[in-house]
Amino acid sequence: MLDRLIDGYTLSVLIFAGINVIAAYSFYVPFKTGQVSLGQAGFMAVGAYASAVATGKFAIPFPLALVFGGLLAGLIGVLVGFPALRIKGVYLLLLTLGFAEIISVIALSWDYVGGAQGFRGIRYNPYTLDYVIVIIVALIFFFSRLERSSLGRAMDSIHQDETVAEVMGIDVVRIKLLAFGLGALIAGLAGALYAHQATFMDSTTFNILLAVEILVFVVVGGASTYWGPLFGAVVLNAFPEVLRALREWLELLPVQWVDFYPMSAVYSFLREFLDFENAKRLIAYGVILIVTMILRPNGMLTRDLMRKWHLARWKVGHA
Amino acid sequence: MHDAATRPVCLKIEGLTKRFGGFYALNDLRMQVERGHVHALIGPNGAGKTTFFNLITGVLPPDAGAVFFEGERLDDSRPSQRTIRGIARTFQNIRLFPHLTVVETAMLGEHCRVYPSVWKAIGKGVLWGAGSREREMRANAIEILEFLGLADRLDAKSSDLPYGAQRKLELARALATRPRLLLLDEPAAGLNPRETEELDDVIKRIRDRGITIILVEHDMKLVMGISDVVTVLNFGTKIAEGAPEKVRQDPVVIEAYLGEDVLL
Repeated sequence: MLDRLIDGYTLSVLIFAGINVIAAYSFYVPFKTGQVSLGQAGFMAVGAYASAVATGKFAIPFPLALVFGGLLAGLIGVLVGFPALRIKGVYLLLLTLGFAEIISVIALSWDYVGGAQGFRGIRYNPYTLDYVIVIIVALIFFFSRLERSSLGRAMDSIHQDETVAEVMGIDVVRIKLLAFGLGALIAGLAGALYAHQATFMDSTTFNILLAVEILVFVVVGGASTYWGPLFGAVVLNAFPEVLRALREWLELLPVQWVDFYPMSAVYSFLREFLDFENAKRLIAYGVILIVTMILRPNGMLTRDLMRKWHLARWKVGHA
Repeated sequence: MHDAATRPVCLKIEGLTKRFGGFYALNDLRMQVERGHVHALIGPNGAGKTTFFNLITGVLPPDAGAVFFEGERLDDSRPSQRTIRGIARTFQNIRLFPHLTVVETAMLGEHCRVYPSVWKAIGKGVLWGAGSREREMRANAIEILEFLGLADRLDAKSSDLPYGAQRKLELARALATRPRLLLLDEPAAGLNPRETEELDDVIKRIRDRGITIILVEHDMKLVMGISDVVTVLNFGTKIAEGAPEKVRQDPVVIEAYLGEDVLL
């Protein structure tokens, strides 16, 4: 629907930003129970390859393939979640990273899914943006209810002190597995959407850099409220686009304004600086991450902040 | 079938042993806690009191021995399952959830009663209409907080509470699980004399609700005034047991625990 209203470039930016928002939520769910996963890119790969095989080799309609990709990723998530139950912190990071590497090696060496040549000619899905919007809205609705629910509190308590949560009667094992599996399922959906938008992928598409990017979205946006991952992913995806727009605007300046010595140097520096290819984007993410960790270690949006806003609105409404 | 809750013996310990390397934290401990009693467990530091709590609640596995709760053997069930059976505890070093508010903390204790399975928690608790259940949990939590005198700071973060109130909140969280056996690990530690007196009163009121209490405590005035039975541990072994007035005159206890005849 929306694709009739916006140009192709903006559309593609919006779609990939939306997929990143979904990916950020896939990191947020296990993190709510204190599990930090660098394997979300691996689960995206599972969803992407599974759905692409379904549509490409078995001519299954995309909606079904999307569900299949998500469920398969979720199932594998639960399987990976079992060993993850016993492991914490840095060791869990390594375990999930190892899992993503395994998936990547399988994608590289299995000729059925393209092997080193990559998976080519995936059926293009013209409605990706609609799917993305529906899924994000559904996720936000779900998380808004989760945050005010008993299960949400139980997850928070596990994050804060697992032993005590268990002693207070919280079924830590099942809840952690549920969170890990649900996170993997959401990642699988993001992967399936990506595959049918990009129409090509290979074993390096869902790599460690993507996993780190996903983590940065959540950590910068804030992991204590469900608005954080959305905010982080949108802001960090919009960031290079804003700079790109600035550069285009710069090029519109009349030549005589910048055609003399000090200004010409400034001009060429800015043009160079705003030229945002991939490597620079990652450097910028790194800088943003460090600055956020120093200034707002809990991310830009926190639950306390959301509560404060909510209270202010409530008071205005009932004054 | 007997109603499990009406059995006179609440907790029976048989030959409970826990080693840390070559050190026996508990060695072949046998004891029995009667229903409705306040049963104190005292002994010098390192006598095995907190280990005892960790074994009863399943936080640590025993090396030998068995624990029977209301006639049923607990074996190696996980802590959460024991809580659902009716055993709750507090911690020696306060362990609250710093980011939850007072009322949320108390509501958390009730989670295992309202949503016994994860599927119910996600279905009835998140997906379709949890509103009335949520209100009921809140009301129950507030009732417990009122019982303990904490109802005036419902929406404060638990980490913002003063020390004495944090101790009470731990107690509220444990009570919210609706236990039949409550393990209190040094509840008076760090409290001022007025707060200790208040605690004395609270423990009696909890007992009067029909909850059996095992109390680990160093404050002898509190212990001797409130307990029905006192068990004395030293180096993981029981050295004395009986009514408070009997135990306090036991020369073995005086030697092991106090070194000299102060206080008692």
